[in-house]
Amino acid sequence: MQCERARELVSAYVDGELPAGDRRAVETHMTDCRSCAALASDFRQVGQSLSATGREPLPPALETRVRASLAQARAADVHSPVPARAPRLGPILARPRSPLRAAAALVAVCVLSALATWFTVSRSDEATLQARDVLAGHVRALLQDSPITVAASDIHVVKPWFAGRLEFSPEVKDLAAEGFPLVGGRLDYIDGRRVAAIVYKRRLHVISVFIWPAAKADAAPRYATRNGYNLATWDRQGFSYWAVSDVSAAELAQLVGLL
Amino acid sequence: MTALPPFEDLAIPHLGAAYNLAFWLIRSRPDAEDIVQDAYLRAFKAYAGFRGQDIRPWLLAIVRNVAYRWLSDRRRAGNVVSLDEALAPDAERAPFEVAAEDLNAEQELIRDAERGYVLRGLAELPAAFREVVVLRELEGLAYRDIAHVIGAPIGTVMSRLARGRNELRKVLTRLIDKDTPNAV
Repeated sequence: MQCERARELVSAYVDGELPAGDRRAVETHMTDCRSCAALASDFRQVGQSLSATGREPLPPALETRVRASLAQARAADVHSPVPARAPRLGPILARPRSPLRAAAALVAVCVLSALATWFTVSRSDEATLQARDVLAGHVRALLQDSPITVAASDIHVVKPWFAGRLEFSPEVKDLAAEGFPLVGGRLDYIDGRRVAAIVYKRRLHVISVFIWPAAKADAAPRYATRNGYNLATWDRQGFSYWAVSDVSAAELAQLVGLL
Repeated sequence: MTALPPFEDLAIPHLGAAYNLAFWLIRSRPDAEDIVQDAYLRAFKAYAGFRGQDIRPWLLAIVRNVAYRWLSDRRRAGNVVSLDEALAPDAERAPFEVAAEDLNAEQELIRDAERGYVLRGLAELPAAFREVVVLRELEGLAYRDIAHVIGAPIGTVMSRLARGRNELRKVLTRLIDKDTPNAV
């Protein structure tokens, strides 16, 4: 037996856990190889030291404590009512049916479920994914030192800044008089495309308004709340709008009305 | 089917093994007590599903799971207990302080020192090796039972034990060399 292989087996040899063939091979090897024999004797000695040291002594109070907690669990088990089996479903399922009817029912269920899944996925996908992206974009911007790349309260600074950075010109409004001063803008990435993010303020609240072109019919604002943020989305003149902020829903609606 | 004996009758005798494993996985005595209590509760609730001859590996596997879950929670909380703190009573023993009067006392001291080293060495092993060494050397479990406890094949038990012992041997050599620089 090769020394390298023997060294791997010495530990199991010491434990008497080797199959007979390997055991004899290791034994033979050790009569010639002093280093493997020394390894076995070292392992034995470490084992003896460990078993002489023994277990970490059991704290005397632990048994009482464990017994008490078990007794408590047992008592709770006895007093809790046995969960009732789902009633009536059994007999209905067990009622004999013709195989044809069963097969038809199965097919119907499959088709319905596939349709429902397709409908839910295709419907909810766009809106919820966009909402998630928008909220993430807003929060991520807040986590940075500044939520904007271009800082300006003048629409004639903010709007040209986007030229050359986007293939469209987003709508930027001066709403300072209405209590929504313009802070600036930045680029963001929503739903797989570059979008404009215009940042307004309401007192100390930051509001991000995301704008990108979308070939959609105009749609009135729809509101949602996610993680405590209020979101609004609407479509107008070939653009999709999303506004997100931690201002109240009423104030967000006010801004949406102004935009 | 015969009814199972009361859980306590089978499980309480293994409290020492359970606590020992928990202690060596967590290296903190108060936490090991909590883990044992939690593990026994879980085992009690799962007891109806216990099918086996020997409850000990089954019980120790639960202790191990609870201990690892607890460790990962603590790691997540970013609060790590130091090794020295966990082993403080052993470190306090200061094996070389007493002057040896006769040969027997001296041998006793050497043996004490050795145990101190072995425990320290064991505590320094990575957990994957520490647990198999504890289960083998302190609990005397067969490889098959160790495999059950750690949920791995016997081959893994075999190789981890071999590596663990080798590591332990290295650690011991290092500790002994460090602590007795003027030893011959």
